[in-house]
Amino acid sequence: MQRINSIKLENVLPTVFAGSEHDEPVASSSVWCHKLEFRRPDSYMIEAESGTGKSSLCAYIYGSRRDYSGSIRFNDRDIRTFSMNDWCELRRHHIAYLPQEMRLFPELTVMENIMVKNRLTDTFSANEIVDLLTLLGIENKVNQPAGRLSVGQQQRVAILRAIAQPFDFIILDEPVSHLDRRNNNTVSQLIADVARRNDASIITTSVGNPLLIKDIEGFHSVQSIKL
Amino acid sequence: MVWKLLRKNISVGQIIGYSLASLIGMAIVISAVKFYADVNTALNDEDSFISKDYIIISKPVSAAGTIGLGGGATFSKGEIAEIKAQPWTRDVGEFTAADFNVEAAINLGGHGMATHLFFESIPDKFFDIKSDDWTFEAPDSYYPASNADDIEIPIVMSKDYLTLYNFGYATGRGMPQLTEGLIKSIPITFYLSGNGHRDRYRGRIVGFSSRLNTIAVPENFITWANKRYAPYSDTKPSRLIIEANTPGDPAINQFLEAHGYEVAGDKADNGKANYFLTVATTIVITVGVIITLLAFFILMLSIYLLLQKNRRKLQDLMLLGYSPWQVSRPYAKLIVAINATVLCLAVAVMMLASGYWTTRFDAIGITGASPWSAIIVGLIISATVSLLNIAAICRIVRRNFYIT
Repeated sequence: MQRINSIKLENVLPTVFAGSEHDEPVASSSVWCHKLEFRRPDSYMIEAESGTGKSSLCAYIYGSRRDYSGSIRFNDRDIRTFSMNDWCELRRHHIAYLPQEMRLFPELTVMENIMVKNRLTDTFSANEIVDLLTLLGIENKVNQPAGRLSVGQQQRVAILRAIAQPFDFIILDEPVSHLDRRNNNTVSQLIADVARRNDASIITTSVGNPLLIKDIEGFHSVQSIKL
Repeated sequence: MVWKLLRKNISVGQIIGYSLASLIGMAIVISAVKFYADVNTALNDEDSFISKDYIIISKPVSAAGTIGLGGGATFSKGEIAEIKAQPWTRDVGEFTAADFNVEAAINLGGHGMATHLFFESIPDKFFDIKSDDWTFEAPDSYYPASNADDIEIPIVMSKDYLTLYNFGYATGRGMPQLTEGLIKSIPITFYLSGNGHRDRYRGRIVGFSSRLNTIAVPENFITWANKRYAPYSDTKPSRLIIEANTPGDPAINQFLEAHGYEVAGDKADNGKANYFLTVATTIVITVGVIITLLAFFILMLSIYLLLQKNRRKLQDLMLLGYSPWQVSRPYAKLIVAINATVLCLAVAVMMLASGYWTTRFDAIGITGASPWSAIIVGLIISATVSLLNIAAICRIVRRNFYIT
């Protein structure tokens, strides 16, 4: 599969909003029922209030949910035409995703949680993972079950798991909602570095505590979109 | 690592329950198959699993027939057609008798013996002896008796005759007892006469039949010899051999009794025994299959429950890029391992049980059949159950690929 250069949304509307196109939050949205294109390597910041459907949007693009009307296209191919095998390939090599609820496995250790993804893609060595954990200040948690970590710590583990693969687009759904400004800066720097190395785009959402990639010097243009 | 995730919620109790139930069902099925094969070997000379049954019938000899009035002991074309039309008949063969004189002479270690004999033939496919020597090539033209040594007549004798000779005649008369192998190597000289001819032929016994109570020669030999030695007679068969579809079917006996036909030997009793055996085995196998089926549903239910409990994990793994098959594989392996273990245990139970009855069978001179038919039946059941379960797992996992 070739690299994804653009993700186009055309008249996409979650099924739950069907029939209320002229009501809030759809009426004032610049995403729902609009044409929108995410172009690599530009990055996008989607700001929204809760309940407007940003997690749904992320899940639609990632192919895990299909309860929408309209079309989403990768390089002009409708993603509804992808097979399960296509999606497996996309999720291993083209699109990285951090869901808002993180979806870590609580019974697995921090290292195992990252390895469960990494063994599919062989992106990092175990040492590199420890180095990254050290960078994010949770290297002492490496052998602890993820379920015993605080939400902020879990968020950092989930971010590392999300970047343990090559990608064209990385979708981060409220990645830093439980991080303080210092940790946010570290994480933002890390994600920007990895994205730059992959020549990839970042699509991130926030309800108030955004990923601070706009502050990073020399990073590709970051567009703000109001959902 | 994936296994560490997916093994969660596996209920050891349910697996043990399934294994036990499945083991009982499987052991019953394959033990019954083995028992059937063992007893069947004893009842049939043929080693085949589904036995064919042959019945030789004749008409009763009447007093009128004995003093030469009316040849009522032969079968007419109409009667043969009627038997052929019966639902339990697979095929009917006619005994063709030789209508000429046969004398046989043998030389056994200095003792010469000569006797009058008779020949009969039935179509080759009814023979339970398969021998390469069972051929006769009719000479193209009339030939002088002096060249008769070129022609060999293969004959098949009833096993009963050999027994009669070995244990009756030979012991009483101080003659050597003969094995089948030895007797096959003894050359016999035949003198056939009739229609003004008297010719000498070489002959050899190529086999012993337990199905045919006669001295049989190839069918084409009888046809040829009758033409040469008895060209003007037109014989009707006095005996028929019937290949039955359903051994021991009561309908056969009813038909034979209604028409007053007589059955040769105890083949019909064997047939009855075979019939009861088949019925009994079918019942036992059915019980075993029902238990196996119930066990299969326990496993299926247990898997549905397990996948339901682990649904979120399955979805999360697929979100990370695991394919549905990668996620299903650990469960598939588990199922194959369980079923393989159950099969091995069931085979062990079958072997133990068959050891128990074969020691008793040995005492009455019955050797057991090979266990492979039973093991193959077990393998087929085990593979079918595993494949159905794995197919169900894959289907459920794939259904969970998309969250909505």
